[in-house]
Amino acid sequence: MNNIDLVIMAMQNLWRRKLRTALTILGVMIGASSIVVMLSLGFGISKSLENQLASWGSLTVITVYPGMGPSGNSKTAAKLDKASVNKFKQIPNVVGVNATKETYGKILIGRFEASSPIIGVDPNIMEAFDFKISEGRLLNESDKLSIVYGGGMAENFYNPKSKSYQPAKVDLLKDKAKLSVDSDSSSSNPNAKPKEYAIKAVGVLSPDDYETSYGVYMPIKQLEKLMAENNKDPKTKNTDYSSVKIKADDIKSVEAIQDTVKEMGFEAYSPKEQLDSIKQQTLVMQTVLGGIGAISLIVAAIGITNTMIMSIYERTKEIGIMKVIGASIKDIRKLFLLEAGFIGLFGGVCGLIFSYIASIILNIVAVSFISNLGGIQEGSTISIIPIPLALGALIFSMLIGILSGYFPAKRAMKLSALEAIKSE
Amino acid sequence: MDNLITIKNLKKIYKMGDEKIRALDDVNLTIREREFLCLLGTSGSGKSTLLNMIAGLEKPTAGEIIINKQKIHKMNEEQITKFRQKYVGFIFQAYNLIPTLTALENVSLGLTFQGVPKKKRDQMASEMLSLVGLGKRLHHKPTEMSGGQQQRVSIARAFVNKPSIVFADEPTGNLDTKTTYEIMDLMTNMAYEYKQTLIIVTHDNEISDYVHRIIHLKDGKIIEEIMNDSVIKNGVKEEFVYEKL
Repeated sequence: MNNIDLVIMAMQNLWRRKLRTALTILGVMIGASSIVVMLSLGFGISKSLENQLASWGSLTVITVYPGMGPSGNSKTAAKLDKASVNKFKQIPNVVGVNATKETYGKILIGRFEASSPIIGVDPNIMEAFDFKISEGRLLNESDKLSIVYGGGMAENFYNPKSKSYQPAKVDLLKDKAKLSVDSDSSSSNPNAKPKEYAIKAVGVLSPDDYETSYGVYMPIKQLEKLMAENNKDPKTKNTDYSSVKIKADDIKSVEAIQDTVKEMGFEAYSPKEQLDSIKQQTLVMQTVLGGIGAISLIVAAIGITNTMIMSIYERTKEIGIMKVIGASIKDIRKLFLLEAGFIGLFGGVCGLIFSYIASIILNIVAVSFISNLGGIQEGSTISIIPIPLALGALIFSMLIGILSGYFPAKRAMKLSALEAIKSE
Repeated sequence: MDNLITIKNLKKIYKMGDEKIRALDDVNLTIREREFLCLLGTSGSGKSTLLNMIAGLEKPTAGEIIINKQKIHKMNEEQITKFRQKYVGFIFQAYNLIPTLTALENVSLGLTFQGVPKKKRDQMASEMLSLVGLGKRLHHKPTEMSGGQQQRVSIARAFVNKPSIVFADEPTGNLDTKTTYEIMDLMTNMAYEYKQTLIIVTHDNEISDYVHRIIHLKDGKIIEEIMNDSVIKNGVKEEFVYEKL
């Protein structure tokens, strides 16, 4: 028998029992869409967590701190010096190393002041490390006593003589500013007034980047000079970096690089690590949600089997006639499998359409609700249906249909033509 | 004329609980090409069982059925289906049309199973329906037709593929006398036309006037064999000699 004729015949048979077919399809639709919606929640939530994590810092960056050494002995610990930075640069898949020094200092603008970490960076790698500028420009090689403010620094200025707190009115880029660096705590004269330097602000970073919000950035060579000038005790002279950031070429190489750095005896952290544990958790959540959805699809599968068995009882005579006038048992089996498969497929298609609608509604209603509570960023999605999920759902529901139709089809095949034709 | 069907020592035993029922008991029979044969007998005589077994619908308990040199009793279901598609047409007492299909669809259904393209099978089916006088009722469903008309559809279905053997199981059992003659005329005329073998199961005496030979069955055995010396051909009674067939 011709395949096209088989398909047409299967369709006609389904059409003949419109109501029952529709109800069975409805069952599959509910099953398929509950799986898809549940899984889409998993995808959406893990995606928005990923986005949130990315806003804390680039996912390809590993932060390295000096090693603790065995049993906390700082003398034997791995040191973050120039030599180790050069080693980091040679690790495969590393695209940049940002060695920073950090001290604490004060910025003075008129009668306002702000305390802040002063961070020395290599101006050449700022772009590679995703420093996002919102006003002015990033540092460059020729900058001397120039600084870039972190995005949240404007809020840090206050008037130390005022009794009540008032927001400071400062223009970070235009107002003249002075910088003083805190001298080493072991300094012999704690009351000595620290030296003030006139500095030039060239830019302000984006306030969306939490990692760089509170800090002042200047070229590392300048900072080293300032620190040397303010260090009254040459014994404590420290040439080590306080932390080093390593940028990987791709999120996939982060783990290997991190492991290498740890083997060298350093402490290394990356948002990627957190992301992995979050992903683990969302996977568990997704499995549970998907499992709940799967139960309704199993119920739907039983529904298909039931419908097909009923249909065989009704059509016993017809099957007998078909066999007598030349239908092969293979054709009969194909016919019933096709009918069941179509129920599954149509159910899958309807379920998918429903899922997309549900996903849109969830993203509008639920996201605005949760973001009102402050749990999630505005405009993020909690339900995502990736194309492979959509296709997978279609194929899966069709397979479920065919599987459910297998037993009834076998039954139809085995019907004795003679007995079937005699039945009423 | 050659023998088309050879039946040797055919036995069929049904088990009903502990009791064994011999539906067919050592039946031997040969049927010639283009012969019209009537299987006569009361209910339970085994006539339908014999017909079903020749048509490959039932497996014999023992014995041989050879049609056109093919051993039917040794075929599997798939082979029998192929054989049936090619060589066999069926007419039933209860018409056995599919109620949801139109006359045209019912007739073309068998061709569908053989993989005949739609255009060709619709053409064949409508030609056949015109031949049985239902050219204007192609798109009527069985429920919209009288018993005689339904049996005509059933005849069209049996003959549409021009099979070499047509089986008819009590084809006129549900019809009045006038329609019985019409249906018998129709069936035999077609069988003459297409040079087919016709095997009819019946207990209707009117039918015996149309056939060449009558086999009388009782309790699963052939008890009587009658060669007709005259048959109705094209509505006229003619002299007939079996040996000249």
